[in-house]
Amino acid sequence: MYGNKIKYISLLLVLAFATAQSKAQRKSGGEFMPSKKVGKGYALVAYASGGLSYYVSGGGTTTTFLKTNVTKLNPLTTLRVMWHPDHLLRLGVETGYVTFYTYTLQDTVGKVSLNGIPLLIEWNMPVAKRFNVFVGTGVYFLKSNLDYGGKTSSSKASLGWMAAASYTQPLTKNLGVAAELKYMDASETVNAVMGLQVQLVWKFFRW
Amino acid sequence: MKKYILILSCFFLVASCTKRFSAPLPDTTWSAFDSAKATPLISSINNRLEGVYAITNGNGTFGDTAVLKWSYTANGRDTSFYLSILCETEVSYFICEAKRLDTNIIFKGYWRKMVNTETGAVRLTISRKGGADKLLNNIAFASTDTVNIEGIYGSGPLATDQPLSLKYIRPLYKAKPLEIIAHRGGGRTSDLLPASENSLEIIKMASQFGATGVEIDVRLTSDGVPILFHDKSLNERVVQRSGLYGDIDNYTYQQLYTLVRLIKGERIPTLREALNTIVYNTPLQFVWLDTKYSGNLQPMRDLQKEFTAKATAIGRKVEIVIGLPDDDAVNNFMALKDYKAAASVCELSLEDVERTGATIWAPRWTLGKQNDEVDKVHAAGKRAMVWTLDVPASINDFITQGKFDGILSNYPSVTAYYHYVRQ
Repeated sequence: MYGNKIKYISLLLVLAFATAQSKAQRKSGGEFMPSKKVGKGYALVAYASGGLSYYVSGGGTTTTFLKTNVTKLNPLTTLRVMWHPDHLLRLGVETGYVTFYTYTLQDTVGKVSLNGIPLLIEWNMPVAKRFNVFVGTGVYFLKSNLDYGGKTSSSKASLGWMAAASYTQPLTKNLGVAAELKYMDASETVNAVMGLQVQLVWKFFRW
Repeated sequence: MKKYILILSCFFLVASCTKRFSAPLPDTTWSAFDSAKATPLISSINNRLEGVYAITNGNGTFGDTAVLKWSYTANGRDTSFYLSILCETEVSYFICEAKRLDTNIIFKGYWRKMVNTETGAVRLTISRKGGADKLLNNIAFASTDTVNIEGIYGSGPLATDQPLSLKYIRPLYKAKPLEIIAHRGGGRTSDLLPASENSLEIIKMASQFGATGVEIDVRLTSDGVPILFHDKSLNERVVQRSGLYGDIDNYTYQQLYTLVRLIKGERIPTLREALNTIVYNTPLQFVWLDTKYSGNLQPMRDLQKEFTAKATAIGRKVEIVIGLPDDDAVNNFMALKDYKAAASVCELSLEDVERTGATIWAPRWTLGKQNDEVDKVHAAGKRAMVWTLDVPASINDFITQGKFDGILSNYPSVTAYYHYVRQ
């Protein structure tokens, strides 16, 4: 069921993207930090983000057999590089470190954390002045860290996706600061967070 | 254009909500059965009830013929007996408990179709005239006597009001034995059975599905404890959510014991617990240890010896065989000092069967009936069993046209049906 939902939501996002693109193309002034034409006007832009995430998956953290103290609010750091071509649809990659949740055992001494390193291909487009939307798909490399009767780490790759919206305030010609609301979903294993981040945006290369 | 995209998007959102399948056990409460007036049956009745029966009412749902077979779950002196009614149509079966009520024998339980999620409650009665008088008083049946079972069944949460009648036709086929082996301890989790695959609970149910033996999957924890688990890693298909992923052999037994539960809430059992359950709690007579790990097979071999001896000590014959599914397992098996004395089931070629001294050859069913090869195996004093056969028509074909001594299936109920209805 969940897989189907992801498939259709992804399709919905693509459709929404297409709608927004046609609107945005008509409003050429909507792009943040418009490239001053140098060569073909291409640029690489880095987005370094830090903030907090909240675990929101409907699959839940643990089932009732475990008596736990669960922490769903955790740090979220991501790094993204986008290629800004001479049109509005941009392409890039994102990675980072997501802590989905941690818990401690109530009846004994033990701790579990579920973390993930996403590796996502992303598309981005400005939909209004300083407003950008991002969607991406790829793999989350999940890592379970267990500290109970010894330390054990184990990993699993999970297919997933993300969607985000940001508002960017320019600081200089090549530097801006942004706030980004993002949803990151390791959908194959039904683990997802909603994150709010402060973002440093740096147009570091143009040609 | 935007309007159409919006409508299309809404359609996709609604259409994306698909049904999550389940087959919960129906409410089988029956006040007459649960009353103090209803008393347990004496077990001597059981064998006399077994047989092939005609379904004269309810045949539209369950087919024209059924096999009635008893099984039990022992717990010390407290033994529970179950009557299984095994049918052909859509791999359906009933599991019932029985009691005596006045001069009648009454049964309550549930039915299930394995090819879908259909299930419901059932209540059956053998009246005094229907054969209960002779069964309860241990009077021999005359050649003209028969047993008639009358009752009602329901469908899902609906009222239990559909008529069901069975009439004894003939005894069960017993001329040539067949090992009816239930996959993953009794059945897969994906088949929505009442217990998880490879759990102690499903092993206790296996004989209720008509199985005479079980195949169980053996892996080692990081501290060397043999456990029952099919998949290489912890995942949502087999375990409840706990935040733990990755290869199961990364975890110690204590970690799995405390933090991991199978889908229906059971603990992951050790091989020792599983064999203990099979020997002391079930009538199962055959255990296929499917080797799912690469490494030293000595822990499996030690438990094989220990529980074969324990079964013998209580007067039971339980055959425990070590599975050799690939070359790696063969090499590890042949590294055992006493491998020639260890019963094993080899899934590879006939040459590998010879080389390993395996007692059983077990080819994949897609290779066909291979009657000539099975003849060669029999000529060498060994047996042949086929896996994993789930298509009912193919099961019937292998039973009636093939020469295998055992069939491993996710549907042991229909395997048992096709075997016992033979004439």
